Amino acid sequence: MLSRVAESLYWMSRNLQRAETLARIVDVAFNRTVDRNVAGRQQTTAMWRSVLSLVGVPGDEAYPGSSRFAVDAFALSTFSREHHSSIVSCIRIARQNAASVRAELSSEAWEAVNALYLFIEKQSPRAVVRAGPSSFLREIRDASIAFGGIVDATITHGEEWNFLQLGRFLERAVMTAAILQTHDETDDSVSEWQRILEMCCASEPFARTLRHSNDPQDALAFVLLHRAFPRSVRYCTVEVDHALHRLSETPLGAFSNEAERVTGRLAAMLDYVRLGEIVDEGAVAFARRLAVRLAEIGSAVEATYFPLVPAA
Amino acid sequence: MQPLLESYEQAACYDEYAGQNGVPRPHYAGLAATLRAIEWSDLRAREQTVNAVLLQRGVTFTVYADSKGTERIMPFDLIPRIIPGSEWSRLSRGVAQRVRALNAFLTDVYHEQRILREGVIPWELVYSSKFFCREMIDVRLFRNVYIHVSGIDLIRGRDGTYYVLEDNLRSPSGISYVLENRDVLKRSFPKLFENYQPLPVDGYPLRLRAALRASSRNSDDPTIVLLTPGIYNAAYFEHTLLARRMGVELVEGSDLIVHGNVVFMKTTRGLQRVDVIYRRVDDDFLDPLYFRPDSSVGIAGLMNAYRAGNVVIANAVGTGVADDKAVYPHVPAMIRFYLDEEPILENVPTFDCSNERERKHVLLHLEELVVKNTNQSGGYGMLMGPSSTAEERETFHDAICAHPRDFIAQPVIQLSSHPTIAGERLAPRRVDLRPFALYGHEVDVPPAALTRVALTEGSLIVNSSQGGGSKDTWIIEDEG
Repeated sequence: MLSRVAESLYWMSRNLQRAETLARIVDVAFNRTVDRNVAGRQQTTAMWRSVLSLVGVPGDEAYPGSSRFAVDAFALSTFSREHHSSIVSCIRIARQNAASVRAELSSEAWEAVNALYLFIEKQSPRAVVRAGPSSFLREIRDASIAFGGIVDATITHGEEWNFLQLGRFLERAVMTAAILQTHDETDDSVSEWQRILEMCCASEPFARTLRHSNDPQDALAFVLLHRAFPRSVRYCTVEVDHALHRLSETPLGAFSNEAERVTGRLAAMLDYVRLGEIVDEGAVAFARRLAVRLAEIGSAVEATYFPLVPAA
Repeated sequence: MQPLLESYEQAACYDEYAGQNGVPRPHYAGLAATLRAIEWSDLRAREQTVNAVLLQRGVTFTVYADSKGTERIMPFDLIPRIIPGSEWSRLSRGVAQRVRALNAFLTDVYHEQRILREGVIPWELVYSSKFFCREMIDVRLFRNVYIHVSGIDLIRGRDGTYYVLEDNLRSPSGISYVLENRDVLKRSFPKLFENYQPLPVDGYPLRLRAALRASSRNSDDPTIVLLTPGIYNAAYFEHTLLARRMGVELVEGSDLIVHGNVVFMKTTRGLQRVDVIYRRVDDDFLDPLYFRPDSSVGIAGLMNAYRAGNVVIANAVGTGVADDKAVYPHVPAMIRFYLDEEPILENVPTFDCSNERERKHVLLHLEELVVKNTNQSGGYGMLMGPSSTAEERETFHDAICAHPRDFIAQPVIQLSSHPTIAGERLAPRRVDLRPFALYGHEVDVPPAALTRVALTEGSLIVNSSQGGGSKDTWIIEDEG
C-alpha cells in the first residue's frame, strides 16, 4: 500500500477523532458555565482558557475579562479556519484526506465523511450560538462515532483498517492526557473531577463502575489506567500496540520497528505503574510526561511508515 | 399523454434521429416507439433520479474558471445516441488508420525526420510547435508506440459526412462519463433498452490495462500506476474510477521517487519498482529537472529514467506536436506518406494563418470562420465568427497579425443535431463524437465513445467547460 495513502487514512482518522473529542469538550464547557457549576467570571474564564489550550489556541487571542470571552473562545475553538485544530478545521482536513483516498475507502465511509463536511459547511456560527450549540456539537460527535462503526463494518480489516485504528486510538490517548493536563491541582473538588470525567466521556462509565466513589484518585486511575474503558490512556495504548503488530506481523511482546518499541514501552509502564507513584509525581506532571511519550509514538509511526524518502 | 417526439422540430443541419421528411431513420425506429409510450412526467422523474445518483457518486469535474474549485456534474441527457454497426466499423477503421499515421509521424519527427526532409511537412511548422519536445529526439521507445491512448473528435456536416475535428493525443479524458452514463442509464431506465442491445462499454478499463501491459519491455507482468495531479484536478474522479477498475495504484508525483534511473513508489513496505506510468499530467509538469522547475506534481529524475528505457510513460512525452492544431491540416498527407492509403475520415478544410495567402483570406472573412488558437483547447481561445462582435474580431485580427503561427481558421460546420431534453420538450441539440483508441500491440478502438451535446439552443460548442453535457452512445449491430 502507498505510504501516502496510509498517511491520509491515519490523519483522516486522527482528525475525526479529535473533532469528536473537541466537540465534547466544548459542550461540557458550555454546560458547566451556564448554571452555577462554575461560579463567577474568573472561573468561567479559567474554564474557557483550558478549552482554548486543548484546541491549541494561544489564550491571548480572545479577550480575557471581557464579557464576550466565552463567545470568542467558543467561536475560536469551533469555527476558526486559521487554527488547524479547531473543530471545523479538523473536519475539513479529514474530508480532504478522505478525498485523496477515495479509491481505498468504502463508498459508505467516503459518503459519511462527505456528509459531515457538507453539514458543517452550511452552518453559520451566529445561528449556532443563538440556537445553543448543544445539538450542533452533538451532530458532530454522533457523526464521528458513526464513522468508526461504518469503517469497522464496511472495510476489510487489513492494512487500511489498521492505519485507521492507529490514528483513532493514538488520538484518543493524546486527548485524554491533554484533558488531564488542564486539571487545576489546587482544586480537588468533586466538581473539578466531574468536569474531567465528562470531558473524557467517562462520567457515566465511571459512575457505573465505581458506584459511590467521590475519591479523586479513583477518577484519575479510571481515565489513565482502566483496562476496559475505551478512552483510558492504557486501553488506547494497547490498541495502538495491537494495530502496529498486525501491520508488521511481529508477535506481541517483540518489536520490529521504533514505533512498536516506544509503544510497547509505554504500554508496559502503564501496566505496571502504581497509582501511588502517579499521585506522588502529581497528576498534571504525569500527564505531561505521557503526552511526551505519545508524541514520540506519533513521530515513530510517521518515520516508520510515511518517511519522505524510504529506504530501498 | 403527450407523445414525446410528435412536435420535434429540426434545426438547419443533419439530424441524427430523423431525415428531412421527419421520419425516424431505421436505427432510431425502435427508440421512437419506446418514447411514444413514455409519459413526459416519467421522463422528468427519471432524469432527476439519474442526476441525483451521479452527484451522490461524485461523478464530478472541477471548473477551473471558478476560483472556489466548484464541483459540478456534467449534465447527462437521457436520450441515447445510436450508431449502426456498419457506420461504427467505418469510423473505427478510420480512427485506427489515423492513429497509426500520427504515431508513425511522431516516430519519424523524433528520429529520421523523413517527412520533413522530403518536404511533405515544412520544417518550421514542427520546430515552431510549442509541443515539439527536443528532449525526445533519438529516444527509442518500445515498439515505437507514442500514442497509447487517444480520443479523436468527430463531427458530422450538413450532408451527414463525418469529419475529424481534432486529434487528442496527450491525455484525453471523458471515458468515465461513458462508463458511468451507461451504468446509471441501465439501472434507472431499463425500459429505454427494450428494442436494443448496444455493445457493452465496460470492457474499456481492462482493454486499457492490456494496452499498458503490452507497452513494457521489462516484464510480462509490469507494475502499472496511474499518475494524477491530485484531488483538485478537473478529471480526478475519472482517475479514481480507472485506477479502481484496472486494479492499479493511483499515485501522485510525491508517491514516486527515482533512484539510479529507476522509478519506485513509496509503500508502507518500502520501495516498489514501477514499470509503466499511465500519466494524466501534462508534459510540462512531469519532471521539474527537465521542464517547469515550479512543478509540484512532477517527479525529479523521471525523464532520465525514461530516456534510459527503465520506465514507460503513456502517452509518451512530446506527442503534443502531432495534435498541434497547425499540424492538423497535414494529417491526410501523413496517412498517404506513411501508410500509402487514402484517408478513410475527412479533415475539416483548414486555413493555416502562417501561410500569407491563407492568412489574407482569413482576415477578410473573419465573420464567416471559426478561428482557433493552436496553443489552447477545451473551447477556450476561440472566435466563432458568425456570432462574434466587431470588437472580438478586431482583437483576433490583431492577434493573428502578431502571431500568425498560433492561429488556424475553419469554416463553420453545422454539427449534427440530436433529440435532447430541453425544458418541457425534446429539441434538437448539436452533438459530436469522441471514440477512444488504445495502442498496445495493435490499435484497438473499443465500442465506448463519448457523445457530447451543446445544451444551449443553436450553440455549436460541446465542451463541458462551456456548459456542454453528454449522452449515452449506443453502438448496435446491424440487422440481418
